[in-house]
Amino acid sequence: MRYKYIGGKSDPVEGNGDIILRGKNICKGFPGVWEHLILDHIDLDIRAGEIHTLLGENGAGKTVIANCLSGFYLLSEGQLYVKGKPVTLKSPRDAIKHGIGMVHQELALVKPFTVAQNIALGLPASDLSFPIPEVEARVRELSQRYKLHIDPLDRVEDLSVGEQQRAEIIKVLYHNPEILILDEPTSLISADAEHLFEVLKSMAATGYGILFITHKIEEALEVGDRVTVLRLGKTMGTRETDKIDKTELVKLMFGEHTPVHLERKPVKSTKIVLEVKNLEALAADDEPALQDVSFSIREGEIMGFAGISGNGQNDLAEVITGLRRAAKGQVIINGKDYTNHSPGEIIRAGVAHIPEKRREMGVIEPMTVAENVVLKDIRISPFSKGFFLNISQITKHAKEIVSRFGALVSDLWKSQTRILSGGNIQRLILGRETWRMPKCLVAVYPTQGLDAKAIDHTWELFMQLREAGSSIFFVSEDLDEIMALSDRIAVMSAGRIVGMFEGSEAKREQIGLTIATGASRA
Amino acid sequence: MNPGYLWGIFLGSLHAMVPITLASTGEVVGESAGLFNIGLEGIILLSAMTGALGAEAGGPIAGLIVGMGTGFAIGLVFGAICTYFKGVQLIAGVGINLFAAGLVTFWLIHLGVPGHHAVAEESMLVNISTPVGDFSPMILVAIVLPVLTYVLLFRTKLGLKIRAVGENPQAADVSGINIHLLRLFSTAAGASLAGLAGAYISVGWLGSVTKEISAGRGFIALATVVFSGLNPLLALLGGFIFGFFDNLAVWISTMPAVQQVIPWQFVSMAPYVVTLLVVAGVIGRARFPAAMGIPYERE
Repeated sequence: MRYKYIGGKSDPVEGNGDIILRGKNICKGFPGVWEHLILDHIDLDIRAGEIHTLLGENGAGKTVIANCLSGFYLLSEGQLYVKGKPVTLKSPRDAIKHGIGMVHQELALVKPFTVAQNIALGLPASDLSFPIPEVEARVRELSQRYKLHIDPLDRVEDLSVGEQQRAEIIKVLYHNPEILILDEPTSLISADAEHLFEVLKSMAATGYGILFITHKIEEALEVGDRVTVLRLGKTMGTRETDKIDKTELVKLMFGEHTPVHLERKPVKSTKIVLEVKNLEALAADDEPALQDVSFSIREGEIMGFAGISGNGQNDLAEVITGLRRAAKGQVIINGKDYTNHSPGEIIRAGVAHIPEKRREMGVIEPMTVAENVVLKDIRISPFSKGFFLNISQITKHAKEIVSRFGALVSDLWKSQTRILSGGNIQRLILGRETWRMPKCLVAVYPTQGLDAKAIDHTWELFMQLREAGSSIFFVSEDLDEIMALSDRIAVMSAGRIVGMFEGSEAKREQIGLTIATGASRA
Repeated sequence: MNPGYLWGIFLGSLHAMVPITLASTGEVVGESAGLFNIGLEGIILLSAMTGALGAEAGGPIAGLIVGMGTGFAIGLVFGAICTYFKGVQLIAGVGINLFAAGLVTFWLIHLGVPGHHAVAEESMLVNISTPVGDFSPMILVAIVLPVLTYVLLFRTKLGLKIRAVGENPQAADVSGINIHLLRLFSTAAGASLAGLAGAYISVGWLGSVTKEISAGRGFIALATVVFSGLNPLLALLGGFIFGFFDNLAVWISTMPAVQQVIPWQFVSMAPYVVTLLVVAGVIGRARFPAAMGIPYERE
C-alpha cells in the first residue's frame, strides 16, 4: 500500500428523507483489462428529496458507479437495494422499471428528430402505433412543471447543448423515475449550469432523489445536500455539505499524506532541451485548446503536467510531437525551431512519444507484437538492410523489450497486438519509446492501467532516463505520480498553465486546490 | 402530334416506372435504417429469373411471390453480413450483383434456347383492360406501396425506430432497440420489393428473361433514392421520370426518321444520362442518415 491517509473515513452521515436506493459493498472490476478493482467496496445511499453529489477526480470511478446503479454494468460484488428490497439490475430497462433514470455524460439523442420523437423511441408502445401526440402533451407538462423550457416540437439539432441536456432529462423523467442520476452534467454546459442547478433543486423539493456527479468542488458544495468523495475507487466518506468546507474536501479528494518525492540530485545542466513559447492551438471543434502556453525543460529534468483531463494537456503533447498544428507560438527542440514540423522530423530530432490513446495511436492493432515493437526503428540498421527486414535482429530486439518490460505476449510474430490488455500494450509502448534513451520524452498518462509493480518499474525507468540526461514532459492525473516524479509541476486548466511549482517544495493541497479551482490561489 | 401517341407514351412510362419505383421504395427503407444495398441490380435480375420459373409452375401470382421471396432471402444474407458480421456493405452488394449475373447466365443455358427464356403466355400477369388502354395491375401496387411506406416511416413508431438506427444507433441502443435485428429486417423487406420489381419485369411486363433483363434498373433505382432524399413519395415521382425517359427512348428509337440519323443504341442511353444529370443536381442537397454504411459496434 503506497498511500497513508491522515484524513480518513468517517461514518456515513444520516440524511433526512427515506432511502430510495442503497448500494452496499459495491465492487466492480474489469478482469483482463484493468489489473485492480475500479470500485472497491463502495457504500452509498440516495434519499428522497435530496441532491447527493459524488465528487472525485477523473478515474476515481464516478461513471462506473453511475453505470452500476443504472443497470449498464453488472456488479462484480455487493448488493443494491431499492426501498429496502434487494434488486439485481441486468439492463438499463431494469433500472427504469425500478425507478432509476440516468442522464449520460454523452447525450444519446437522434439529432434530426424532434424532442417528442426521441422520447417516443424508448416507449413500450406498439410498433404500429403513433404515440407522438400524447408524448408532446406530457413533455409540455413536464417542461412547465420543472421550468425546463423545452418545446416537444423542436428538432434536437436546432437546440443548444444545454437545451439538449434538458431534453435528455425530460426523456428520463418521462418514465416516472424516483431517482435521477446525472453524470458530469456540467461538463457540456458551463454558462447554463445555474439554470440546471435550479431545475434540480426544484425537482428534489418535489421528492426526487438526485445523484449529481462532478469533479468540481464548488459545484458539489453549491448544489448538493450531501457529498460523497471518491478516490481511486474507494469512498472517503459521506458528509453534509453545510458542515464541510473546500479545504477539507480537497484533502478527501486528493488525500493527504507525506508526499513521496523520489530521491534525486538537483538538475545541474542549464541546457534547455524542450522550449515552448506562447503556444496557441485550436481543438477539433475550432475552440481554443491552448492559450499562451510557455515553459522550458532542461536536460535531465522531469516536468509533470497535472490537471483534470481535457484541459489542454494532451493537445500540448500533440503540438509538441507534430500531431496538431500550432496556431501561434513556437516549439523549440535543442535550440532548433520545430513548430509545425512533421511528426517524422520531430521523431528524428530525438523526441519519443507515449500517446494518450494507446490502442489508436500507440500501436497498430492488427499488426504483430514484433512489428509494433520495431515500428519506429524499422529504417535503421540492424533492423533492416536495403529493402529487407532483418527478422532475426527484430526478433532478438522484441524479445528483449518484452522480457525487460514484463509484457504478457504469447507469440511475437503470431499474436495480433489487439488481443493484448491495455496494460500490456502500455508496456510495449514504454519499451519501444525508451530503449534508445531519447533526448526528450513526451509521455501522456504513462502508467494508466498498469498495476502497482509496473508503475514502480515505470517510475524507476523515468528516473534512469533522467540520470542519463533525458528531458521528460509527462501528463498525469494521479497527483501522487506527479509529486513523486516531477522536478517541476505545471497545473493546466482550460488550455492555460495556471500554476508552476517546484517538485521538492510543492504541497499536495496547494496543487489540489489549483487543479480544482483552475487558478493559483496559494 | 397525335394525342393517342402521347397517351401511349404515358401508359408506357407507367409500365416502365413500376420496377424502378418498387426497388427504390424498398431501398428507401433499407437506407433509412443505415444499410446501402448496391446489389439491387443483381436482386432484380435473379428474381426476374426465379419469378418467371415460379409463374410457369404456379401462375403469375406465384411468380411474383417467388420473386419477392428471392429478394427477401438475398436481403437477409446481405443484412446479416452487414450487421452481425460487420461486413463492408459495398463489397457485399457487389457480391450480390456478380453472383446473380453468374447464376442467371448459367441457368439460361440450361433452359432450352441458350441466353433467352420466353415466359409462356398463360403464365403472364393479365393486364386490366379499360376503354383507354390496357395496363398492368402492378401499376396500382407501385403507386400504393410508396404511400404505405411513407406512412410506415413517418407516422408509426416502427418508422421512428428504423430511422433512429440509421441516424444514431448508439441513441437507439440506449432506448432498448435491437439495432442489428431491425437493420436486418429493414434491408430484407426493402430487398423483397426489388425482388417484386424483378418478377414484374419478366412476368408482368417484358415476358422474357435474358442476362441483361435488368438493364441497369437497379442502379437507376439507387439514383432515384438519392433523388428522393429518402422520401418514398418522391421515389414514386422519380420512378415515373426515369420510366418516362426509358419509354421515350424506346419510342424515339423506333421512329424510322430518327433511326436513319441516330443509331437506336445511342438514343437508349437517354434514361442513363438523365440519371446522371438528376443525381449530379441533387448531390450535396439530399441529407442521408448519419450512420449510413457504418456497421454498428458497441464500445
